[in-house]
Amino acid sequence: MTLVRSGAFAALAAVVVASGCSKGSEAPAPITRLVIRKVTADLSKADPSAPYWNDVTPGIVKLTAQPMIAPRPETTTTEEVIVQAVTDGTRAAFRLRWKDPEKSEAGKLGELSDGLALEFPLREGGELPPVFMGAKGNPVHLFHWRAQYQRDKEKGKPTVKDIYPNVSVDMYPMEFKEAPGGTPEDREKFSPGVVEGNPQSYAKEGVDEVIAEGFSTSAVQAGHGSTAHGEWRGGEWTLVIVRPLTIEGGSSLKSGGGANIAFAVWQGGKGEVGARKCVTMQWTPVVIM
Amino acid sequence: MPKVKNWQVGREIEYPYDESRPKKQWAIVFDLNKCIACQTCTLACKTTWTSGKGQEYMFWNNVETKPWGGYPLGWDLRVLEKLGRQEWSQKGEYQGKTLIEAAPPTERVLHFAPTDEDWMYPNVGEDDCAGGNVDKGGHMGALPHDKWFFYLPRTCAHCTYPACLAACPRKAIYKREEDGIVLIDQTRCKGYGECVRACPYKKSMYNPHTRTSEKCIGCYPAVEQGVQPQCVVNCIGKIRVMGFINPPWKAREDNPIDYLVHKKQIALPYYPQLGLEPNIYYIPPIHADREYLKQMFGPRVEEAIERYRKLESDPVAQGLLCLIGSSDRILHRFTVDKGKAAGFAENGEEIVRVPVSEPVIVREAFDAKVGAIRNNTP
Repeated sequence: MTLVRSGAFAALAAVVVASGCSKGSEAPAPITRLVIRKVTADLSKADPSAPYWNDVTPGIVKLTAQPMIAPRPETTTTEEVIVQAVTDGTRAAFRLRWKDPEKSEAGKLGELSDGLALEFPLREGGELPPVFMGAKGNPVHLFHWRAQYQRDKEKGKPTVKDIYPNVSVDMYPMEFKEAPGGTPEDREKFSPGVVEGNPQSYAKEGVDEVIAEGFSTSAVQAGHGSTAHGEWRGGEWTLVIVRPLTIEGGSSLKSGGGANIAFAVWQGGKGEVGARKCVTMQWTPVVIM
Repeated sequence: MPKVKNWQVGREIEYPYDESRPKKQWAIVFDLNKCIACQTCTLACKTTWTSGKGQEYMFWNNVETKPWGGYPLGWDLRVLEKLGRQEWSQKGEYQGKTLIEAAPPTERVLHFAPTDEDWMYPNVGEDDCAGGNVDKGGHMGALPHDKWFFYLPRTCAHCTYPACLAACPRKAIYKREEDGIVLIDQTRCKGYGECVRACPYKKSMYNPHTRTSEKCIGCYPAVEQGVQPQCVVNCIGKIRVMGFINPPWKAREDNPIDYLVHKKQIALPYYPQLGLEPNIYYIPPIHADREYLKQMFGPRVEEAIERYRKLESDPVAQGLLCLIGSSDRILHRFTVDKGKAAGFAENGEEIVRVPVSEPVIVREAFDAKVGAIRNNTP
């Protein structure tokens, strides 16, 4: 038995050497279901260049300019995402690659961030929610990564000075730099988003968990330890998003199947944000094997 | 798309939501013949509301020189260029398309998106003169002047049909039923900047520190107390008055704003053709180029200027103009009687009473009592 197995591996290795590639760099083909491969690896860290990706066959999901509501892109800016997925039994990691000619992290006025979101039906069983952001009573659970959010995690939320290094400000009256008794709340009094606790106004952890029940309803939720890390190189993003397999009160991916996934991509450099995005037009079934 | 009534363009227009006029509508009237661009309004607003991080560049109220100035850069030119040539009928009905009617299927509002460079020159074009060269000096013997410019103070217009509200995909912008003030819900805004793109007047602004969009709040905490906004009460030239405007079919002659806009028809909305029914109104500058003013204020501008020039013989209008700037409080009603103009609060309480004309005293130039020549420099 052992001999046979070794032989099989040797044969496989020979094929790999001959073709000069592994599964991970095979020419990907369009998929009708997404297989999540079980791996023995630590998935607590989102790692786009981990070796286990070499053993997972990549698949293509096709995207289209969001067609349902205005504002929307005039043309499809991101045509496809190459997807791979693995699980260690408690987490699922998704590696996503797509072409984007420029890296956009937002910051300055009028600049928008590159981004990608994974979408799952919130509830198991029953009728699938509309793939376009779900519906009232049939919500969806999103994992929304932005280059901007990743920058927050890596370098901290940018200050105005970070965004505009040459900015000159006489003073912020609420800074109370030297005055005793000034509190952090006092300092942010003129920052309404901060005062109101808007999640957008606080440093991000790379990926937001969002629940939506239709267009214009998305709301950021407390996270469940999802992580993400993306790298932009040569006109292409390679991003890994890691999420727990099961989330109480949220979406779950269980062995065997029954789960579904959908994708959305934003190219900040092309003015995409919010509903200006490219999306998959249907759910893709997910199978854990 | 629902059709809604827009009296400023004399016809029904398309808007994504049904007509729902507030109980009262916040409005400001500015007399552009009096503005000297001292920017006291700008600073009053700045120090009150936008001295925080990410708001460095924000001027919810600004004053720009027309025709060359504009903040952000070329906002008016760029939106008019997008819209292209459009026509008004002889009767004052707008025959062209509004920004919402002209939007392509992929957009909610025809718009342009300003970049950060566009926000870097708040005072561009200041005092730049239009109307040909001035090689031989200016000759301003007749109206309108052949060399001209004027100052345009601007706040959010708290439009009846706001483009920002129409464009917000998150429905984070709302118009208050009690006073028509348009606000961005700072808990819901996600900083997509759709309102920044959509507002043709560019009075929604993105805050890169909070990563939400912000805008003029009409000084609603003051308005709720019956007090006019900071930009109004701090105007040293007393060129502006805030109150509540009714649509023409509900206009009241004793309401200061209704009187100026509907009864006397000397104050006009700016760029009404964009279709938003903006609620800041301007008494046009009598010296400026009429074609330019027509583009900005619509086809009724000549009549408005003629009526304004005849106010000298109208004691009621004179009385009302004396009331402007005479009180910090919002005047809901006014009377002019026996040479006195009076303003009243919503509950009928008299707030202020002023003489329509001050007594004129003529002194001899040489004051023998003190042995000195007086002059009339204060």
